[in-house]
Amino acid sequence: MIESISNLWSIPLLVIIPMLTAIIVNFLYDKAIKPIAISSAIVILIISIISPYGYHWFCGHPALNPETLTFTFNPNIFGYKLSLEFIFGPLQHIMIFISSLILLFCVILSTIGLTKHQGPYIALLFLLFMSSAIVIMVNDLYHLWIAVEIGSLIVVGVAAASGTSISHKAALKYGLFSAISGAGLAVSLALILGLTGFANISDAIMYLKQFNIGEMSTVLYIAFGFFVLSWMYAGGLAPIHPLKSEVYGASYPHATTLLQAQSKLMLVAIGIIMLRLFGMLPFVKEVMIFLSVITMMIGVIMALIQIDFRWIIAYLIISHSGFVTLGIGLGTYEGLIGGIFQAVNDIIYMTILLLCCEALFYFGGKTSTKEAYGIAKKSPFIATATILGAIAASGIPPFNGFQSEIILIQACLKEGFPEIAVLILMVSVTTFIALLRGIYRIFLKPPELQSYDDSNVDLPKVLIIGIIIFIVLSIIIGIYPDIVLRFIIPVVKEVLSI
Amino acid sequence: MEELKGKRGIIALIALIIITIGFLSSLIKLTGRVNPGISEVYNALAYLVAPNNLATWVYDWRGFDTLLETAVIYVGGLVSALAIGRGVVQMKKCKQESPVTSKPLEFRTESLTVILKYLGIPASILLLSYGIMVVTGSSTSGGGGFQCGVIMTSGYLLAAILYGKDTPIKFGKRFIIGIGAIGLGGYALLGLPGYLVTGYWQYNIGADVWGLAPSILHIIFGDPFRLSLILKEGVFYSTPGIIPLINIAEAFNVIGAIGLIYFAFLYGWSDEGE
Repeated sequence: MIESISNLWSIPLLVIIPMLTAIIVNFLYDKAIKPIAISSAIVILIISIISPYGYHWFCGHPALNPETLTFTFNPNIFGYKLSLEFIFGPLQHIMIFISSLILLFCVILSTIGLTKHQGPYIALLFLLFMSSAIVIMVNDLYHLWIAVEIGSLIVVGVAAASGTSISHKAALKYGLFSAISGAGLAVSLALILGLTGFANISDAIMYLKQFNIGEMSTVLYIAFGFFVLSWMYAGGLAPIHPLKSEVYGASYPHATTLLQAQSKLMLVAIGIIMLRLFGMLPFVKEVMIFLSVITMMIGVIMALIQIDFRWIIAYLIISHSGFVTLGIGLGTYEGLIGGIFQAVNDIIYMTILLLCCEALFYFGGKTSTKEAYGIAKKSPFIATATILGAIAASGIPPFNGFQSEIILIQACLKEGFPEIAVLILMVSVTTFIALLRGIYRIFLKPPELQSYDDSNVDLPKVLIIGIIIFIVLSIIIGIYPDIVLRFIIPVVKEVLSI
Repeated sequence: MEELKGKRGIIALIALIIITIGFLSSLIKLTGRVNPGISEVYNALAYLVAPNNLATWVYDWRGFDTLLETAVIYVGGLVSALAIGRGVVQMKKCKQESPVTSKPLEFRTESLTVILKYLGIPASILLLSYGIMVVTGSSTSGGGGFQCGVIMTSGYLLAAILYGKDTPIKFGKRFIIGIGAIGLGGYALLGLPGYLVTGYWQYNIGADVWGLAPSILHIIFGDPFRLSLILKEGVFYSTPGIIPLINIAEAFNVIGAIGLIYFAFLYGWSDEGE
């Protein structure tokens, strides 16, 4: 139940604490980073768990009731907001909780596994979380644009931080093209602002519903076009997929966990906004479904032809983003539930795979499938965890991927798209094939004798704990999906005004 | 631009034409029909805060937006320096290729003309002073923290280009990064008093338009910046509250972020002194 308060205490803290932590660790550069960063990440996680639901009107300005011309601070009384509005509801609760859990493991793994001078890198991880949290909480077009803009810039930094020529190339390419994404969203915002006069998304939607825009619907279509452009760049949808997959593949796997979480959050947040703003226009849903289907297919085909395990996962993240957007694009009750649920599940099982990939760096950092390394013999746990992650990603019960994919298949069948339902099944099977190929070569195939290093490797305990936690989460959600669905269903009902 | 030749180039050109036509036709349709919406309310109430509407819009009505905008500049500095080599990280347990770093620029200051040699320093000092003047008038004029930061770093860049490593305006690495940290951190923390007192982050307790803050805080944050507007109808008082402080913080942030970019690109990066 969302409380009728417009000054919820937790919302500013979820933005300001990561920002201040980033400033401090960037300044400290080497010293005292570990305790500050880890304690901040723990505080953020606790806030995301205990926070009640409500609104925060930044700068403390009220809303103007257009009928009575009186000002009110009660968010349940309709009024045009003068303030910048953030919402913390069930959707934000589950999304920010998972992101903050990933942030905590990311930060600990960075402080353990990386060489010195970690300050700027850890600062970027906190800022990455901050941008994700803003995107999912904000109810304002202008602020959404800034969050997407800052998010893109941070992605560039995280990718470039590994310092290799591949990562620099990926980062600069993404940086250059993501400028288009930000500009596109800015143009879209300008058009909607010109049409409605409101930057607040709910107010703009209210205006569009109340007044017949008639011939001005062309302007809305153009705004939708620019919005789609930004959606594609932020989430790495086809045909922009090479840029985002390069960033995923070139970053350290622990950072990719956070990057892919950010992408999923952006896809969900921007997708829902698009549906609310433009859903009444003909062909809008069709465009969203078309992009989703193309992304699903291209992503999984590209994953099949990769020879590096990191890049296989990178393309699978792209492909599974298509599942998320497909559900949102369908725009139905089941579709939206399936899409948002898939985003949560996707973040979890991809995190398992990426953390297992991170473990490979402790065995020498070779992730190519061209050579056999026999990692299963050295670490049966990592091999088992990777196989479990692959099973979850392929939508096999009793893991979480199964639950959301079955909802998506049902949604497609209900909407009269049996061919897309079949495609979802095909993508799931192909995901398993692509992952199994990598798993067999890297983990299961006996190593070539001349290159085999038999020395024992101690994996960080936190890495093992992280993998176990996410596997347990995957199984719990797979057996008892209501644990997540109870957060998603109220949001879907609100979006569809049921 | 090689990638834009051939089929890709044709597709890009067609896409650009479609986007341009769509965008221009939207602008034409909107001409004369732009809905003022909430901006009418903003403008009607702006006189209650700073005499300059722009300052009220940017730092009060949309003050938290501006914090994130400022953070974009901070992140820009952070990422640019990282691309040069500051804070590049590697995994301890595996061998990787050496990080990509940038070398310092070669300065050839011996060819400097006499005019530049002797006027460079006064011009730089003038720019630094002008920046300070701009930020002090942030709530009464169109100027502000961002402009101040850009002007002052221009002065720094001018001196660095003219005199190379012998520039008289020298900032250390820690100093520049510290300035940026004070700027963004200061801006963020200026929201704290309003949050603690009213529950609303960045509520302008100095201006206290909605009467939510205790009068003592209204006086502490409002009176130092109180302004009077003298008209024939009478004298009207208002205070921008925390807006001038926000502008100073923003100026620090911009100096720190842009200064860091200039520093890293001019002198390259080594971890000495960090």
